Amino acid sequence: MHRVEHIMGMPIVVAARGGDVPDEVFDWFRHVDEMFSTFKEESEVSRVRRGELALEDASLKVQHVFARCEELRTETHGFFDVEAVGFDPSGFVKGWSVDEATAILDRAGVEEYAINAGGDIRVRGHWTIGIQHPRDANAIAKVVEGSDLAVATSGAYERGEHVRDPHTGAAPDGILSVTVTGPDLGTADAYATAAFAMGARRAPGWTARLRGYEAMTILADGRVLSTPGFPSA
Amino acid sequence: MHRKVLAAVGAIAVALPVANAAAAVKKKVATVTKTVTGPQMIADRWGYVEVALTVKKTTTTVGTHKTVKRKITNVTVPVYPNHTDRSVFINQQAIPLLTHEVLTTTQFNPNIELVGGATATSYAFQESLQKAILLAKKI
Repeated sequence: MHRVEHIMGMPIVVAARGGDVPDEVFDWFRHVDEMFSTFKEESEVSRVRRGELALEDASLKVQHVFARCEELRTETHGFFDVEAVGFDPSGFVKGWSVDEATAILDRAGVEEYAINAGGDIRVRGHWTIGIQHPRDANAIAKVVEGSDLAVATSGAYERGEHVRDPHTGAAPDGILSVTVTGPDLGTADAYATAAFAMGARRAPGWTARLRGYEAMTILADGRVLSTPGFPSA
Repeated sequence: MHRKVLAAVGAIAVALPVANAAAAVKKKVATVTKTVTGPQMIADRWGYVEVALTVKKTTTTVGTHKTVKRKITNVTVPVYPNHTDRSVFINQQAIPLLTHEVLTTTQFNPNIELVGGATATSYAFQESLQKAILLAKKI
């Protein structure tokens, strides 16, 4: 079965093969929204951002998210930087919350499932995933397949650039999208965001050096550069 | 230094006629695949680099005429600089290791079960396609 709910401003699809999707999965996403939303004034993250709540007094999950964001800032040479966007961890929270949700499905005994949170995906069991074409919203640019995989994409697409280089504030140049695959969706999403912010000149080379993660970079000139282990179907 | 490595890469791809002789009757083709590793080289201030190539060698013998062709089937860099300000170096070195393709539009494939895309992309499309896929699986 599959279920879709709109939480955190996006559709979250949970599909389970040969079983039910437990309510607890969506309860978890709603709980994450209550804790981490920057649109909800009383969320812990909003209180931390306003300086009303010290990070060390926040819940362990909020502390963990900010600590991991800081590690990712270092790993990405500052291209994934939650401080540059006003101490807003939303770019990591989405993927991380999906990673955490897998524990709920595992505990419920669901053996094969997929979670698609606004285009970022994590699967258990073997699944075939289409990556949306960056120039044609109604088409697929690449098909990937794999087991126990996270797939995150960052790009400009038709809504215009929303990712900027934290060092310069400029929109990335010459790059349409970066898709990163690997074991962990929070990390894959941060890497995809960082690589996209690097732009055409730096992103492909940087993705070639990732450990445990593979990437596909689509450039504005129509070149598609993939790391050797990228799981193309 | 990396210019030397690249020159070596170029040379291996060239076909080398080794011998030629009288008219031929019998044709024999033999292939061997080997991985060769270059020496560790210092790349200016960046550190050491070592390049390994997998080469497929095809020897065609027609009578006494022998032709040897070598083709690089893989390039890896087992040793590379670990420098904090390494991005310029990485860009020059790593891009040849990536698979290059031209962006195409893939026909919608009935095996696709999920659609991924950039966060800011049209959720409506993703959601609609996703639902259609899930429904199609029930047909």
